Amino acid sequence: MSMLSDAVFSEAYRFTKNRMTVFWSVVFLPIALLCLSSIGQFFLKQKMAEIGNDPRLPPALLGQGALDLGHSLVKLAGDTANPLLLLFIMIGTATLYAGDYRWETWRLTSARNTRANLILGKVGVAKLLTLAALIVFLIFGFAGELVKGMIHGQSYVFHFGGKQAGEFGLLALTGYIRVVQVGLIGLLAAVMTRSLLATLFVPLVVSIAQFFLMQSMPLIGWTGTEWYAQAVIPGLAYDNLKSAILGGAMSAVPDATVWAAAISLVGWCVVLLIGAVLWFQRQDLSKE
Amino acid sequence: MTSVIETRALTKTYGTVRALDGLSLEIPKGGVYGVLGPNGAGKSTLFRILLGLIRPSEGQAIVMGGPIGDVKASRRMGSMIETPRFPPFMTARQVLVWLSTSHGLKADPKRVEAWLERVGLTGAADRKVRGFSVGMLQRLGVAIALITEPELIILDEPTSGMDPPGIQEMRALIRSLSDHDGITVVLASHQLLEVQRVCDRVAIMNKGKLVREGSVSELTTSGERLRLSVKPSEKVLQVLGAKGSMEGSAVIAAIPRNEGPALLKALIEQGVDIDEARWVGADLESVFMTETGSVQIPEAIQ
Repeated sequence: MSMLSDAVFSEAYRFTKNRMTVFWSVVFLPIALLCLSSIGQFFLKQKMAEIGNDPRLPPALLGQGALDLGHSLVKLAGDTANPLLLLFIMIGTATLYAGDYRWETWRLTSARNTRANLILGKVGVAKLLTLAALIVFLIFGFAGELVKGMIHGQSYVFHFGGKQAGEFGLLALTGYIRVVQVGLIGLLAAVMTRSLLATLFVPLVVSIAQFFLMQSMPLIGWTGTEWYAQAVIPGLAYDNLKSAILGGAMSAVPDATVWAAAISLVGWCVVLLIGAVLWFQRQDLSKE
Repeated sequence: MTSVIETRALTKTYGTVRALDGLSLEIPKGGVYGVLGPNGAGKSTLFRILLGLIRPSEGQAIVMGGPIGDVKASRRMGSMIETPRFPPFMTARQVLVWLSTSHGLKADPKRVEAWLERVGLTGAADRKVRGFSVGMLQRLGVAIALITEPELIILDEPTSGMDPPGIQEMRALIRSLSDHDGITVVLASHQLLEVQRVCDRVAIMNKGKLVREGSVSELTTSGERLRLSVKPSEKVLQVLGAKGSMEGSAVIAAIPRNEGPALLKALIEQGVDIDEARWVGADLESVFMTETGSVQIPEAIQ
């Protein structure tokens, strides 16, 4: 355990010194989204003044009525695994997973710890990075909602009872696992290819391929609720879990699909991690 | 003799190339041990195997009493393989703190400072390593090899890329590690004169095999020849037979030192006029060239 914590601490120490990567993977997108959303709300407010208050448009769209910040939080938690955020988090995880190949620093660390610990140390820091990035995303997203209310002169309410808290927690957890799972595709790519670019792009290519497979499901006779569809397409599993969480008892997603989806997300993580550790155990850490 | 490294029939193949070919070697505890060989002799492959970076195809090795990859044993040794590379965004001090943590040590600032001072990097401690020269990277590499206060240090080409004063400092540092800190140093180098000056024992490798092993004095003494300025030289060559040869006007007798007096006595008895007789020592360079067939001339001689 102590050797694993050595691996985690040293990896975390090194990563925090890589300030550019920390900025791009954790801070940049939430700030950019906050700025863009604020500009967008200003633009919307101006347009509203131009077209007048059309009663046919819903009050929320017009920036009228009270803004439910509890609902906003749940909505943000449901958006934690959005592809854009995933892409920026991948900058950090790819650097973590492939950095030692890029800088040839395995030779400095590999003799001092077990290979399994070295990989698990990286995964541990990648999980912390993902958590930090999601928290920053939620904070800035929440700030964006506050700014939106200010721009439109809305009042705030905060309905965040047991139901909303449960939905928020489950959505955030599911999104977190989904981001970690995509990152682990990068880990396997890193140990197999030793390339930073492959570590960054293979998960994206796999995710895009899975997206197209999801769109093609009707062509191959899949309804999207089958267990094998969840197993093959973790993106679909994530979507089904989100629907089930937001739908609650009224959800159209069958219980069996929910279980299959949850097992798929966690299963992908476990299989990818085991695959990466096994590959790394047998790997020659030399370019010769 | 306690050994810190022991290899038995160690073999590493890359496709059809045998980088190591059944290497059996025993490196004793204490002193400075040099591994010599031309390019492609298998030195770096041997070191990489000993450090667990690559797996041997056959054979086995015991390092610090444990098999390859045994972390407990590995934690008692330090290493620097060729010019080390570091994450470019880190400073020298941060690299030392990072690797101290990675090695399970508390990164004590005083300790970090002491190692920076020892390798002459105090002034550059807070500079990013991306701006370091090769020599500075080598020094930082040595500091890293030392942070765990190891019993064994493996250095692959420790003076590569260094200027002459830097080489001299590195040589002094290596000797002091052995003489004052009691660390066993194993190094590979092309710099034969450096090896001769700094090492106590030497192994010469060629084409993945061990071709010669022994103390530096043994190897150089075994290469000694008796140089004779004599008249008539023909008579001396007759006495020496296959052991005699001409070098300019002098006769070279390839005989061990203990046979010298008997030879001189015999020559005097036969009426040979001896103007001069002196032992000509072989240096490591000539031993190296003989043993490796000088297929590839080492950098130091080029």
